[in-house]
Amino acid sequence: MSAPSRIMAHMVAWYPDGVSSLEVARGLADGGCAYIELQFPFSDPTADGPDIQRACSAALEAGFTVDAGFECAEAIRRFVTVPLFIMSYANLVFTRGMERFLTDARACGARGVIVPDLPPDYDEGLFRTAAKLGLAAVPVLSPSMREGRLSRVGTLETEYLYVTLRTGTTGSFTEIDSSGLEFLSRVARMDHGGKAKVLGGFGVSTREQVQAVSPHVHAVVVGSALVRLVAAGGDVASAVREMVRKLSGAQETVGA
Amino acid sequence: MKRYNDFFGSFGGRYVAEMLRAPLDDLQEAFLQAAADPAFTRELEETLRDFAGRPTPLLKAENATRELGGASIYIKLEGLANTGAHKINNAVGQAMLARRMGKTRIIAETGAGQHGVATAAVCARLGIPCRVYMGEVDMRRQRPNVFWMERYGAEVVSVTTGSATLKDAVNEALRDWAASFPTTHYLLGSALGPSPYPDMVREFQSVIGRELALQLREKGVDCAALVACVGGGSNAIGFFSAFLESDSPVLIGVEAGGRGSGPGQHAARMNGRGRAGIVQGYKSLFLADSDGQLLSTHSISAGLDYPGIGPQLAHLGEEGRIKFTTASDSEALDAVQFFARTEGLVFALESAHAAAEVMRIARDYPREKSLVVNMSGRGDKDLFILARALDPDRWTAFLREEAAR
Ligand SMILES: Cc1ncc(COP(=O)(O)O)c(C=O)c1O
Repeated sequence: MSAPSRIMAHMVAWYPDGVSSLEVARGLADGGCAYIELQFPFSDPTADGPDIQRACSAALEAGFTVDAGFECAEAIRRFVTVPLFIMSYANLVFTRGMERFLTDARACGARGVIVPDLPPDYDEGLFRTAAKLGLAAVPVLSPSMREGRLSRVGTLETEYLYVTLRTGTTGSFTEIDSSGLEFLSRVARMDHGGKAKVLGGFGVSTREQVQAVSPHVHAVVVGSALVRLVAAGGDVASAVREMVRKLSGAQETVGA
Repeated sequence: MKRYNDFFGSFGGRYVAEMLRAPLDDLQEAFLQAAADPAFTRELEETLRDFAGRPTPLLKAENATRELGGASIYIKLEGLANTGAHKINNAVGQAMLARRMGKTRIIAETGAGQHGVATAAVCARLGIPCRVYMGEVDMRRQRPNVFWMERYGAEVVSVTTGSATLKDAVNEALRDWAASFPTTHYLLGSALGPSPYPDMVREFQSVIGRELALQLREKGVDCAALVACVGGGSNAIGFFSAFLESDSPVLIGVEAGGRGSGPGQHAARMNGRGRAGIVQGYKSLFLADSDGQLLSTHSISAGLDYPGIGPQLAHLGEEGRIKFTTASDSEALDAVQFFARTEGLVFALESAHAAAEVMRIARDYPREKSLVVNMSGRGDKDLFILARALDPDRWTAFLREEAAR
């Protein structure tokens, strides 16, 4: 049996509430995820589908603030050893101030930040400031990118690249077909020497999808599928733990 | 002014996820090519003349002038354009551009429904399938426009997320477009969003300002100030467009003062109320809390009920070229009644905010000086809101009878 696939597990800070979101993080870590992507909810998440939208509004209702988000990240880091990335939207970062947001991110132990609507050239200093502070700012790449644009982002030589396997919003099931894989190989060609660690996902919810994507990336991102489990309620920590185990293939290895 | 600026001072830009970069690059290129193509501009002018009913008149409002007792009042009757508002200018332009780009589907957001109606009507003529996103709250308060959009063959999709108003309809249209852009054009209805929209919408709306400059000259009007309401800012920027690079006349933008100055009670972003932010693809001033979460807004007019303002207007406001003020819900209602009674014109509730400002400042000027207000739309769509506010008993009795029939 091959080694389990690396999973970047996504969760929404303060969903369903401050304390329970720590339980979610614990479940993800116990399930053996390789990374945690912690989303700071924004009132108007235009890149997200219905599951994450609902989670973000619930988290805001529950009292999420950006300060509380950093506290949440710090609390997670106390019991989780895998690297944590903070994902959010431009306005939360811009309003706090780039330098301050990133300094706070580093102080709470985050490995990096992902802000899809601050792409290189319209990034308000995200990439420069993160590099200065020793944080990984992760560009988000999509199959609709032109060659010129892709190589422009490539020149940043970031440590990580986040690749969406299709266009559209988060959530709905992605058929892992030749177009997604073809884009991953375009990214690999652009990334001279293959130095960057590619985090690939969007609409991944089954072991079959993970198996199809995993050989081509450093880690597979799983988002809405986990958020839906949290939405379903009950023992969410166990539910997300089992899903991470199943998707990574750790279960198969153990059971074999 | 250049056709494409991207930024206006520090505002504007194209803050979108990579997946929307290529479609916006394509749109920018197609727009600039079309705008420089005489065949495109000729067809646009013909369509605006024969279908939209341009030029719209500039009316001397003599009764209003007399009653207000100060400046001479003129009204640019954009509301006489087909589908009832200035929105048709931009809808015609962008729909023709979409056809030229080979797009086979058009989506739009709408608040008051005027942009949705304009888009649906143009799509009907061009035979392009059309889907309009509209907040659930706005569908309820602007029901007649939902009905008309459907008659034009558009699919109206109710948006229930967030505050279920204009900003949420924009979010939903952006989400649709993120997957559909290879075949679909997003026909954005105001001078906001990622570039090239603010530039493109201004260019398509600048026909208002060009006509106005000509009409003022023909009539020999000594114009002291132009007054327009400001939601996202498309009628204002179009109306002001011919005068932005000179010092006169005074340009006044009127925001929704709603029912008070507290959070959630209004939609006034200028004069220190909005904060700089980056939302829906552009940097501008937004009504947001100290974390950057958007605040809810209120206006009696659905078209002004939006937490952001077009980046060029925000910039011109900060520079002092445009002065901003507010009119409250009740001032807007008063203005509707005043101009209906004196001039036989029913202003849309949006435009009535500009009319209210004119009523307030008319006495500050002598008769030789003129104030020109943009009646960006007419108020047919507001029948239900106006009737409930102005004649509640007879109106509800009527509705009961109708429902029982
Ligand atoms: C008649 C009318 N005027 C004004 C507006 C506000 O939009 P803008 O500020 O883009 O002109 C609307 C929007 O729906 C409208 O219908």
